[in-house]
Amino acid sequence: MTRQEIEREVINVFQREFEIEKPDMDADLRETYEFDSIDAIELLLAIETFLGTEITQEEKKQAVNIRTITQICDYIEKIAKKRNLLLPA
Amino acid sequence: MERRVVITGMSAITPIGHEKDRIVESLQKGLSGIKSLREEEFLSSYIHSKVYGTVDYPIEYDFKRNHRKTMGPVAYYACQVAKEVLEQSGLTEDLITSGRLGVAFGSIHGSPTTQRNIYRIFFGAEDKIAVKEIGAVDYLKSMVHTTAVNITKMFGITGRVISSGTACTTSSQSIGYGYESVKFGMQDAMLCGGADEYDTTTVAVFDNLLACSTAFNETPHKTPRPFDKDRDGLVVGEGAGAVMLEEYEFAKKRGANILGEVIGFACNNNGGDMILPNLSGITNTLKLGVETTKINPQEVDLISAHATATKMGDIIEAQAISDVFGKTPYVIGLKSYTGHTMAACGVIETIMTLYMMQDGFIAPTLNLEEIDERCAMLKHVQKVLHQPVNIAAIQNFAFGGVNTILMIKKFS
Repeated sequence: MTRQEIEREVINVFQREFEIEKPDMDADLRETYEFDSIDAIELLLAIETFLGTEITQEEKKQAVNIRTITQICDYIEKIAKKRNLLLPA
Repeated sequence: MERRVVITGMSAITPIGHEKDRIVESLQKGLSGIKSLREEEFLSSYIHSKVYGTVDYPIEYDFKRNHRKTMGPVAYYACQVAKEVLEQSGLTEDLITSGRLGVAFGSIHGSPTTQRNIYRIFFGAEDKIAVKEIGAVDYLKSMVHTTAVNITKMFGITGRVISSGTACTTSSQSIGYGYESVKFGMQDAMLCGGADEYDTTTVAVFDNLLACSTAFNETPHKTPRPFDKDRDGLVVGEGAGAVMLEEYEFAKKRGANILGEVIGFACNNNGGDMILPNLSGITNTLKLGVETTKINPQEVDLISAHATATKMGDIIEAQAISDVFGKTPYVIGLKSYTGHTMAACGVIETIMTLYMMQDGFIAPTLNLEEIDERCAMLKHVQKVLHQPVNIAAIQNFAFGGVNTILMIKKFS
């Protein structure tokens, strides 16, 4: 798994699940796309499916302050690195 | 403080149509909405009753994703009729979001389609990830007040929420409690109604109680048969309906198109058996309903009876109507067209009655060919009557011994 693959998958999730055709990587999700707590739960589930691994309660709490797609990718990258799933760029 | 309460919007999705013209045409031409029970891979093959009050025409929904994500099929029905009623009422967005408008809306048990999917995931789960698919969203789709709060969310309504889930009296309670909320000054307007989606578990319940029609599986349009000698039980159906209730002076001041007036409501309980109809309980409800209107029972022109076409239910209701209203009002059973649309039946029957008031006709009870002699003391309607209706009563009774009556009047 590479950073590029993570970004591609996250964009796919936003297009497929949240019907946002061209998501802006740095837009505030709540303000720009009316993203809410239900979407966040759905997103965490999609991330777990993508990684093929469970995200711990502690890790989920760290996602609370995420506001942009770039931050989501950073978050996934961090978890993937911890699980040794990330290939060097 | 007691205020007059008028109706300024109405919309129904029913087995005999969605738009008023189609519904009125069905009522005047005797077109039934009962079709064969749809096959699914769950219960349909085990159920003896093979008929269903079916919504089989396309409905064009235009809901945004951030609303759709918490909606099961029942909420689609509910939000669609709510949207149409809000548009028809002409209420401004400022009023809708002001807290002066509330919602009274329910279904008998949320979204059974969603609940069924939860059970499929739960019992079919092979690993933790699959079990975790049962999430907050599924609860929001299946909870008993899902219709009411999807409506408030979609339209930004901030007033009170009442969400009755009292089976067959759900939407008549919605209208009744909405009416009382406006009448006694707690809200200036209430969006009221009920909805239920296609569901075979409800059919199975009534089927097991031997309350469903089974003798007309090959000729669905011939059943249900309220008050008829050959009736053999109810037919479950799907649908939704909504009405906008408003305080009269406010509606008049803003120039609203007033479609009718709610003049009374009563609700009580039999205080005993949860299933069997109770003559004393039902009779008391009807008396209480008339008392709230301060009119004479003989002034009622038309009664839309609950009339599910069960053996005992129709006889008990006929006796109660006779005891309270005598033989003055015409009596009709509108479930003969739609089947029993459960949570939606009260509001759908109210809207059909309002259509009859508007257009000056009384629809006959469909399939009433030979009146059961035990129900013969009433003034039944067996062919379309073209005549004005000024005051009507809509009666509904539910499992758990809940009884309701709504009294409505043509607005003049």
